[in-house]
Amino acid sequence: MEHFLTWLQHSLGKGAGDTAQSWSEALLESLNFWELLEGTHLLGLVLFVGTILVVDLRLLGVIFRRTKVSVISDTILPLTVFGFVFVVATGVGLVFAKPLLYYHSIWFRLKMILLALALLNILVFHSRIQKSQGAWDAEPVPPGKVRAAAAISLLGWFAVITCGRFIAYDWFECGKPQPSFINTVEACKASEQGAYTLEGKRL
Amino acid sequence: MNNRRFIISAAISAGLLAAATLGVHQADAHHAFAAEFDGQSPVLLHGKVTKIEWINPHAWIHLNVVAADAKEQEWMVEAGPPNTLLRAGIDRNSLKLGTEIVVRGYQSKDKVCIPVCKANGRDMTFADGRKLFMGSSGTGAPKDGADPNEKK
Repeated sequence: MEHFLTWLQHSLGKGAGDTAQSWSEALLESLNFWELLEGTHLLGLVLFVGTILVVDLRLLGVIFRRTKVSVISDTILPLTVFGFVFVVATGVGLVFAKPLLYYHSIWFRLKMILLALALLNILVFHSRIQKSQGAWDAEPVPPGKVRAAAAISLLGWFAVITCGRFIAYDWFECGKPQPSFINTVEACKASEQGAYTLEGKRL
Repeated sequence: MNNRRFIISAAISAGLLAAATLGVHQADAHHAFAAEFDGQSPVLLHGKVTKIEWINPHAWIHLNVVAADAKEQEWMVEAGPPNTLLRAGIDRNSLKLGTEIVVRGYQSKDKVCIPVCKANGRDMTFADGRKLFMGSSGTGAPKDGADPNEKK
C-alpha cells in the first residue's frame, strides 16, 4: 500500500522535464481547485449530515411526531444521497492530493473506520429493521431497535465529522516524538517522515 | 402540551443564542491557530530559505536560521495557501532557495523541534526591506497588526 500510494503521490501523471509534477502534486499546489474541493466537501457534508439529522430525529421520536416516518424519509433521503455523492467525490479528490499523509493519519484511519460502521448501520437498518416499518410508521415514537439505529447513526456521523476536522492538526503526525502505540497504529516507520520514540530517538 | 414544548425549545434557543453572542469573541482565541501554535511565543527568524512547499492547505517555508551563537537551526514556517500568498504579492518565484528573509511569527506549542522547529508565520521581510503578510486571516492568531485585512 505504501508503494502504491508513493507512486500515486509522486509518479502518476508526471511528465518529463525538471519541473514536471505528478497529478497529485499538481492538485496539492493548485491555486483554486484544491480550495474548491475542500469547500464543496464541507457544503456536501452539511447537506448530507443535516438531512440525516432530520430523519434520525424523527426515528428517535423527537420531531415531526405527527408525520409518518415514511413521509419524512421518502422526501428527505434523496437529498441525503445527493449530498453523499458530493462528499465522497470531493473526499477522494482531497485524499488524492496527499495520499501518504492521510494514509498515516490516525484521525483519517479512525474516520474511515467510523464511516464503515455508520454505513454498516444504514445497511442493517434498511435490510432488517425497516422490514417492520408498517407497524411503527405512524407511531410518534418508533420501537427501541429503530431508535437505537438512529442514535448510532447520529453519534457515528458526528464522530466522522470530528475526526475529519482533526486531520488538519499535526498533534500525532509521523516524525514527531510520540508514544510507540501511536507510531504503531499509524504505521509511521514506513512513512516518509519516519517514526520517533517519545524521547526523540529515531526508530 | 404543545405550548409547553414550544416554550421550552424557544427558551433553549434563546439561551444558546445568548451564550453564542457572549462567547463569540472568545471563539477567535480558540480557533485553528491555538490548536497548534503558541500565541505567547513570538519568534523572529533571520535565515536563508532552504525549501519551499508551495502547497494547500498551507504553504511551508523552510529556513536555516543562524542564531547569535552561530548555532544553526532548521525552521519550518506555516504560511497561507498559494492563493492567499499570491494575493499578498508572493509567488513561488519570489522565494528562490538561498533568499535571505526575516520571518515574524509564533512558535508551535510543541517546542521539541523534532524533526525541525515549527512556527506560524505572520509576515516576512526581504533584504530590500519589502514586508509582506504571509499568514492567513481569521485563524485566531494574535492581533499583532501583521494582517492588513484585519478589522481594527
